[in-house]
Amino acid sequence: MNDNATTAGDSPREREAVLTISGVSKHHGPTAALRDVSLTVRRGSVHGLIGGNGAGKSSLVKILAGVSQADSGGSIEVDGRRVDADRISSGWSAAAGLRFVHQDLGVFDDMTLAENLAIARGYDHPGVRPIRWRDIRSRVVPVLERFGVTAHPDRSLGDLSAPDRTLVAIARALQEEEQSGKVLVLDEPTACLPAAEADRLLATVRRLADDDGYAIVLISHRLDEVARTADTVSVLRDGALVRTLGGGEITEPAMVGLLAGASGEASSPEPYSAADRADTPVLRVDGLCGGQLSDVSFDVMPGEVLGIAGLLGSGRSRLLRSLYGLAPLTAGEIHVDGRPVRIDGVPAAIRAGFAYVPEDRAGEGVFADMPLGDNLTANRLNRYWAWPAVKGRAEARDVARMISRYVIRARSGAQPMGTLSGGNQQKAVMAHALEGAPRVLLLDEPSQGVDVSARAEIHRIVRTAVDAGAAAIVVSSDFEELSAISDRVLALNKGRVTGELGPGDIAAARLHQLAFRSVKEEKV
Amino acid sequence: MTTEVTLVDEGRTADVQPPDAGVPSRRRVSLFLERYSLLLLTAAIIVFFCLDPATSSTFPAARNIKNVLGDESVLIVVTLAVLFPLICGEFDFSVGATATASQIAVASASAEHSLGVPLSVVIGVGVGVAVGAVNTILVTRVGISGIIATLGVGTLLAGLVMLYTDGRAIVGGIPTSITDFGANDVLGVPAITICTVGFGMLVLYALTFTPSGRYLYAVGSNRKAARLVGLKVERLIGGSFMLSGTLAGVAGVLLVARNGVGDPQIGGTSLTLEALSAAFLGATAIRPGRFNVVGAVVAVFFIAFSVSGLSLAGAKGWVSDVFNGTALIVAVAVSTYFARRRMQA
Repeated sequence: MNDNATTAGDSPREREAVLTISGVSKHHGPTAALRDVSLTVRRGSVHGLIGGNGAGKSSLVKILAGVSQADSGGSIEVDGRRVDADRISSGWSAAAGLRFVHQDLGVFDDMTLAENLAIARGYDHPGVRPIRWRDIRSRVVPVLERFGVTAHPDRSLGDLSAPDRTLVAIARALQEEEQSGKVLVLDEPTACLPAAEADRLLATVRRLADDDGYAIVLISHRLDEVARTADTVSVLRDGALVRTLGGGEITEPAMVGLLAGASGEASSPEPYSAADRADTPVLRVDGLCGGQLSDVSFDVMPGEVLGIAGLLGSGRSRLLRSLYGLAPLTAGEIHVDGRPVRIDGVPAAIRAGFAYVPEDRAGEGVFADMPLGDNLTANRLNRYWAWPAVKGRAEARDVARMISRYVIRARSGAQPMGTLSGGNQQKAVMAHALEGAPRVLLLDEPSQGVDVSARAEIHRIVRTAVDAGAAAIVVSSDFEELSAISDRVLALNKGRVTGELGPGDIAAARLHQLAFRSVKEEKV
Repeated sequence: MTTEVTLVDEGRTADVQPPDAGVPSRRRVSLFLERYSLLLLTAAIIVFFCLDPATSSTFPAARNIKNVLGDESVLIVVTLAVLFPLICGEFDFSVGATATASQIAVASASAEHSLGVPLSVVIGVGVGVAVGAVNTILVTRVGISGIIATLGVGTLLAGLVMLYTDGRAIVGGIPTSITDFGANDVLGVPAITICTVGFGMLVLYALTFTPSGRYLYAVGSNRKAARLVGLKVERLIGGSFMLSGTLAGVAGVLLVARNGVGDPQIGGTSLTLEALSAAFLGATAIRPGRFNVVGAVVAVFFIAFSVSGLSLAGAKGWVSDVFNGTALIVAVAVSTYFARRRMQA
């Protein structure tokens, strides 16, 4: 990188640096979220920031926003104002001119465009005098135009298309008079947009850099977009800056290689042949459609762990939720052990032999204020029922057996679930799911937010379950984990199966390549 | 998969200990206090008013004790009613109005239409069942929030009662077999109290010892998780509103028995609020953090004996509401503090 290039030139690499991050590290206990990251973002340029899950992108954004502080030692400089990285605050960040549009836009869908912009800016006068809507409207219209939004300011934001809503969020972040906002950080602005709409949004982003001179940090999982839009690209892996690419170096193969840790380009994956298997598959799905899913077909054999590699919005969670009766399917057939099943709700899915461990453990997995024991027996009390009462002793015996079998570390079955560690909560959720002796275990991000040893135990639990003849489908955005746990991996991209890796082929590098590869390239 | 083999090496097996075994003694003491303080406080108040010179002659008198027991029967049944929806995370604001409507139905059927006691009672309880069914449909089928649905139904019902009675109480002609039940004792205990104890036992049994009762708690703890483990959430919530309506209907019958009239001014919103606050106060005791039958009954008597003693000591009528409100706020504040500490443990 060319540091200290202060003279404005034609090449973006030689323009003046607006945002300089030097030696920023961040530790949570012993684990490092960021290691000595330094990078420079220049005026009038788009700087791509890419990395897998847990690579440190969001940690870096949080520090820039002043939501969390880095370890001492590093520093952050915005247009000549410098702050120690361990002392940054949200007030400093805003005053220095850093602006953020997060993936969750934080906009108010049931309010009008004018209200959405006015709320962030503050109404022009204090007190109880009526708001002068006419003034606000006349101020808002040019702001919206500047960002390519043509809708009337009295329209409800929720009526707008997804890219327009993102543009309104950007407009809100940058609405103040020109130069107070200098750096715009966009976190996954296109994650939920179809390609054509994403292009429109990115064209506007590009124009903001070229015409208005903003420095833009673009965080994205979509490498083709980054390749087309960014002037420079920094690749993070395991909290460290691997490399910053510029100009002609920005190609998809180069980025995939850096993301996955292999040097240079990775070889093209060859589809794994799932031919000639004698057994009846535990699960066969054929032509599933619904939501993002389009024509998804695959088999899972007894004793097999099938991994699903896909990015956010690829339909990976939707697939599991559809199989568990939580999201409707518009077409397709499902066979369990060779028998056709119809899934029209959770009870039907359970009857068909499915068990599900949700991604959102706190929101959907646990009864936090209830004892561990009640969590373990949650839907199976009928089993202990014998007139006139639920047999407490039989239930307690089963709870004790499950605690010991699934190695749940708790004082006793009476301990409130919410006071267990994340890993032990997850083991309890899995224990509950497996206790029903499911044929197909559906796991969404099974080791998210758990420590390393619990992760190993969770993998062991999955393996033991399938060794007994069941099948498992694992969705994980941690490709290292997928390659460790899966016998076979399907890549899901925008709702379609775009590749398959069999035993011996699975490596995190390959998975990155499959999952990040754009569909366009796939068709070639 | 059948043996007791653990999935991890020897020595790393989780310790399984009997409940409370690992709990330090200091925490056990505070747990005991948390569970039984409301009960101890109630006992202390009774002792105090028995010894206090101002009330020592009147408070412990059999007549006063029996009055309190009899008077609180209706409130206890309504409190039992609101427990079901509360446990699964819903409010039923229509219970008071339902009890009033049921009361008018019983009084009118038996006194004005001479339909006979058994049929009148069935009609009264039937009103409650019907209200429960309407609430169930509104909440689980139409999808209205329970608070709004029951607020609307309760208000509507109060209006219909006024329309039907023209605001006048039905005083004469109520069969003596009904009023006798409200006034007489069995073995020195008011018959109505024995009846209420019966209902309390039934609800306690249903909530504690049957699978369905415990599923209700799961629904209240995390509705999404309950759905994911395959519980039929809508059916459980609907069932809770049905039971709540039915018990409110029973409370209407008891109102007629106790008061000997059908009075549109009795019951209503104030009864709803008293029942809800007893349920919340009760959730701070016996099984802290959970709505529970014993706690709720203790809460009712804690308030009743306190207010009875205070009024015998010469306090004015407003004392009842002031005491009730203060007790609720203090108890729930203390209990919230304990709950936070428990979850940090």
